[in-house]
Amino acid sequence: MCALLSKKIWPLFRALLLAGLCFVILYPLIYMISCAFRTPEDMKDPTVIWIPRHLTWNIMKQTMKAMKFPRTLWNTLILNIGCSLMQVISCALTGYGFARFQFKGKKILFAIVILMILVPDQIIAIPRYIEFRYCFGIQPLMEKYIPALGQMCNLINSPLTMYLPAMTANGIRSGLMIFLFRQFFRGLPQELEDAACLDGCNPFQTFLLVMIPNAGSAFLTVFLFSVVWYWNDYYVSSTFFTENATIALMLKNLDTQLVNELFHSTTADISPREKIIWMEAGCLLSVTPLLLMYAFLQKYFTEGIEHSGLAG
Amino acid sequence: MKKPVPYEKRKASYGYQFLSLWLIGTLIFFLYPLAESLKYSFMELSPGKGGMQGEWIGLKNYIAIFTADAYYSKYLIDVLIETLWKTPLIMIFSLLIAVILNQEFKGRSFARAVFFLPVIIATGPVYSIISGNLSGSGVGTQFSTIFHTDLTGDFFEFIGLYGISEEVQNLAEMISDHIFAIVWNSGIQILIFLAALQGIPSSVREAALIEGATGWEYFWKITLPYISPMILVCLIFTVIDSFISPDNAVMKRVLEMQQEWKYGSAAAMAWTYFIIVMFAIGFLTLIMRNYIYYQTD
Repeated sequence: MCALLSKKIWPLFRALLLAGLCFVILYPLIYMISCAFRTPEDMKDPTVIWIPRHLTWNIMKQTMKAMKFPRTLWNTLILNIGCSLMQVISCALTGYGFARFQFKGKKILFAIVILMILVPDQIIAIPRYIEFRYCFGIQPLMEKYIPALGQMCNLINSPLTMYLPAMTANGIRSGLMIFLFRQFFRGLPQELEDAACLDGCNPFQTFLLVMIPNAGSAFLTVFLFSVVWYWNDYYVSSTFFTENATIALMLKNLDTQLVNELFHSTTADISPREKIIWMEAGCLLSVTPLLLMYAFLQKYFTEGIEHSGLAG
Repeated sequence: MKKPVPYEKRKASYGYQFLSLWLIGTLIFFLYPLAESLKYSFMELSPGKGGMQGEWIGLKNYIAIFTADAYYSKYLIDVLIETLWKTPLIMIFSLLIAVILNQEFKGRSFARAVFFLPVIIATGPVYSIISGNLSGSGVGTQFSTIFHTDLTGDFFEFIGLYGISEEVQNLAEMISDHIFAIVWNSGIQILIFLAALQGIPSSVREAALIEGATGWEYFWKITLPYISPMILVCLIFTVIDSFISPDNAVMKRVLEMQQEWKYGSAAAMAWTYFIIVMFAIGFLTLIMRNYIYYQTD
């Protein structure tokens, strides 16, 4: 009885369960593809559920136009990859410092890292905005003495609002990244550094020449997650950008964008149900780069977490 | 001759050097804003030249958000209750899936790829759109209807259950309504559990097999104790993830207040919320601590 249960029934039940849940996950993606290539008439047609009756590229083209796609994509890519690179380097340095050195106040400093994981961005967003808007308090001084420069002291809408925190290990979810790197470096054998030290390396040379080559997959994993988090972020960037500078912001405001760019008036005769196809096309445009990355580098997403020492 | 600096001291100074970038950044971009926002929460603010201007009003903001604000306390309770029942569901679900994905079967790598997929999408605006959370546009609700309407009712009719009791029906409907959210928010947890499962030494498994443990006993006596530290990690991660998501009602309310230029109230809301979350996490950790088994070599 028991053998029957484990040999025959369980695999069947497992297959059913997995298939059902895979459908739950894939369903929005399939629906996106199905919607993005149909005409508005198909939305009114109740017989059309999955397979569109009229295939068209127009919706994708229009959505791309509304999202100013090539330019926004390019901006987002530059911003993401730049921030992620800086963030990985600064977080790795910090994580290594926490993993391998003993110094006064280490416990308190590490408690701050934990606090960084816990504090939601919403708490610190406004004071950060003020810092950037008035250039860390320089702007009023400039205004007083060199009024011409005072005007320029405004970092809002400048990519620096993203780069500066990333550079100093304070970007999006950097607390978590510092934590991951610390766990990872603690898992590497101490002998590596002892050997390098005997060979006359100072700790920075050791880090550069010995630790980084050994930490390739951890770096890649954290980098990929960083790219994903920057790609998906709209809260932080919407605080510092008043224009729709990234894909996520564009998508978040696609509704307004569509009205402005495509339908040309708020009273255009587009029902909410028809609007879905443009929204889904926008979703498709914004997840495709991520999906491509995931398809090629999937093993670094999954194996990286396993090896990064988070579990262990 | 110059006295050589002792090795320990030199190491300590290197430690500070490695941390220096982060220290500067944290002072400017984290600790200072944190202190400022705490200060804001006690003030009546208006944006002025060169920064915020305002006057000290003591605890008035904190009192006002609970008495004068019609939404805040309601949202707060809603979010707390939702987290309370959703977290255990996410935990159980992701553990179950991780155990299944750890077994050998055909198509395993495909199934893994699909189950981790939400990890790359669920934090972004795409998720708010496909899960029907996009506020204000009125488009959101349209999307989810296909998935939500009466799937359970149909299913029960399909398997021939008609006169089923109201409560069971409601429960089943609640679960099926939220299965989307649960599946889509379990990616990282599945990943962590899977890694933990693979960390169970094979010698333990062999010993259990020789002793004649059934799969059921193996799960309760071997698997659970071994992965218990990761259960805590997952639990905390899940709680934080749901608390700080920009999609939850309290966070949205904070954002609304900020858009209405009521920075003092917004800060007070965010801080009250944050302190409750901290208490919740501390409480969880204290309870869990008694049940965690740490493998000692």
